[in-house]
Amino acid sequence: MISASNISKTYRLGRVDVPVLRGASIEAGEGEWVAVLGASGSGKSTLLHLLGGLDRPDRGSGAIRFGDTELGSLGAAGLDRFRRTQVGFVFQFFHLLPELTVLENVLLGSMVGRGRLGFLRERAQLTKRAEGLIEVVGLSHRRGHRPAELSGGERQRVAIARALMNDPPVILADEPTGNLDQGTGAGVLDALSELRLATPDGSPRTMVMVTHDTRVAERADRVVTIADGVVQAGAGQPASR
Amino acid sequence: MYQALLTRRYLTRKIMPLLASAAVMLCVAMELITWSVMGGFLNQLIASGRSLIGDVEISRPQTGFAHYEELVAMLEADELIVAAAPTVDAYGLISLGEGRTSFCVIKGIDPESFDAVTGYRDSLYWKPLDEPLPKDDAGADPRLDPEARDLFAALQGFGETLEPPERDGLPEKPLTILGLEVFSKRGLRTPAGFVEADVLTQRELTVNVLPTDRSGGWLEPTARRFVIANEFASGVYEIDSRTLYVHIEELQDMLRMDEAEKVETGTAEIIYNDQGEPIGFGSPETVGVDPARATAVLVRGVDDADLNVLRERVASIYDEFSRKHDGVPPVDFINVLTWEDRNATLIGAIKKETALVLFIFGIISLTSVFLVLAIFWSMVSERTKDVGILRAIGASRMGVAWLWIRYGLAIGAVGTTLGIGLAYLVITNINAIHDWLGTALGISIWDPAVYYFTTIPEDFDATKVVIVAAAGVLSCAIGAVVPAARAARMDPVKALRFE
Ligand SMILES: Nc1ncnc2c1ncn2[C@@H]1O[C@H](COP(=O)(O)OP(=O)(O)OP(=O)(O)O)[C@@H](O)[C@H]1O
Ligand SMILES: [Mg+2]
Repeated sequence: MISASNISKTYRLGRVDVPVLRGASIEAGEGEWVAVLGASGSGKSTLLHLLGGLDRPDRGSGAIRFGDTELGSLGAAGLDRFRRTQVGFVFQFFHLLPELTVLENVLLGSMVGRGRLGFLRERAQLTKRAEGLIEVVGLSHRRGHRPAELSGGERQRVAIARALMNDPPVILADEPTGNLDQGTGAGVLDALSELRLATPDGSPRTMVMVTHDTRVAERADRVVTIADGVVQAGAGQPASR
Repeated sequence: MYQALLTRRYLTRKIMPLLASAAVMLCVAMELITWSVMGGFLNQLIASGRSLIGDVEISRPQTGFAHYEELVAMLEADELIVAAAPTVDAYGLISLGEGRTSFCVIKGIDPESFDAVTGYRDSLYWKPLDEPLPKDDAGADPRLDPEARDLFAALQGFGETLEPPERDGLPEKPLTILGLEVFSKRGLRTPAGFVEADVLTQRELTVNVLPTDRSGGWLEPTARRFVIANEFASGVYEIDSRTLYVHIEELQDMLRMDEAEKVETGTAEIIYNDQGEPIGFGSPETVGVDPARATAVLVRGVDDADLNVLRERVASIYDEFSRKHDGVPPVDFINVLTWEDRNATLIGAIKKETALVLFIFGIISLTSVFLVLAIFWSMVSERTKDVGILRAIGASRMGVAWLWIRYGLAIGAVGTTLGIGLAYLVITNINAIHDWLGTALGISIWDPAVYYFTTIPEDFDATKVVIVAAAGVLSCAIGAVVPAARAARMDPVKALRFE
């Protein structure tokens, strides 16, 4: 479904090159849930951003594929479109827009890429979908609230609903429970699992989830670990922070 | 679509955009106020000419020209011309007694025709009023006094005709109408700022003029007593402070420009009887009539007449007229001028000054571009994470740039709207504000002695509003371009890491 083969990513810090990924490969099959473990700074987020087309790997290093498409062959507009329609990001720090209400934050995904007229034409339908998602994550009663008025767990549920607004086949979650206590985290994971399965034909979405928490990783179909810029199968060393 | 929603939310949730809007508001208001006041000043200056000389003036100072009634008739026969009026203009010294003298333009007018050209009767100050003037909330205007109604009605009648009342079957002293500001009345006003009714009207005034002979040499000065029948306020300080109207025949007489018998020059002859004894002096033989002269003929054109066309027409009529009479100077020896021509240097200077001031304020308004730029720059920094989030959910670089430009346009629109409102408030109340500055703070910016008009004129119109508004909104959008480009170029990954 989505894969990266032999990709490298180097950041430049002043004159120093900081290689973060050095020939990493990862693959998530259709409907598969892959957990990515790794020490802090090992490049987990970097890998996820590359998979989601938010960033590009080093020139000349390997390729990222989504289905039959090679992301490297897409132009800027193609990548924007890919992010908009094929992936849903969930972040550790929720990343909601503070000025928008819960409902507006969820709707935002559908506003991007639609003109005003396009949005208004489908508004009723889109609002219904957004409200449905908010209901699944259990926040119907807080639809009109702003993120600042919500708890961490509630914010993450909103972020999950937003990620799924455009019904993407792939979810990329970067430590979605990293900022939550264990109980809340479990609830958020439940919501995520539920929405992963909420597709028109009932087949689960592909999900790549970065985490520190081996207990979270246990719920995945498969676990990989990043260390020294490459991805290895299995939980490897217990992640330390 | 998200741009519209976010613009709206950003606008209402933060103090920064309000500050930016306030800056835009001030710039827009400043431009509009200066433009309107200077434009109004210019308009009023141009319009004021009509109340003094009509549209076009044919003039020959000092010596004047004869047969003007015929010229008036010829002019009035033209379809471009509504009315024409002869006047005699002279400089003179006027004296109220008690050492109060003033150097004035004495204008000899025929009330009927002069009113047809200039509408001077509307400018008569002393007349009964039924309603207080708009600014006079307390109703302190002496002209509102019901008991003085008859007096004011009489003064108005005298002002309109300049016919002195008769006493014992003989006319009283001739009448004059004085410009309201001729003898400074600064100390003679009521607390509300009105001139007291009985300060000058019905008092006598001596007018001294210097007649000249045909060659322009001065003759003996002539003095005559007039009664002040009324005062007039054209609103132009220059006119109101140094102009006096008297009847044209009165002034012609004083200046010896009236109709006179032309006599054979030489010494008087002694007449002898048949016996050759002298029986008396024979008066010199009358050889003709020297017709009365006027120094100017004023012309009022039809309302939408192009003044330059009108001036050409008037000149050609005068040319035709001058060919019919010996002794009437040819067209090249007289002035045929519009008010704008007569004041070309002044009006041209004011036009340039207006353009210059607008230009300077335009440059000052450029600061609003930089202000928006600075405020937007910091807002974009503050919202770096929002940019990252929007990019992560699929927004394009252009979409993010448009968000900020749109935001700039919105701030521009809000600021401009407020600025227009502020300018409107200030402009429509500018005289009240100025009065208040004067009384409360002792500041008098608008000195009528310097600025010609006793009230501050304004000309607030839709064209100016549209132009200034467009410039205001546009400058905000320009100010937003650079921060917008910065937002667009942001690396979404870095933006998301931004704390
Ligand atoms: N824009 C950047 N410029 C320079 N270095 C960067 C940049 N982004 C990330 N890095 C570095 O790349 C390395 C990997 O970062 P990344 O965020 O992928 O790690 P991570 O595994 O997600 O860590 P964590 O578990 O703390 O989130 C880190 O050492 C980080 O400092
Ligand atoms: Mg990370």
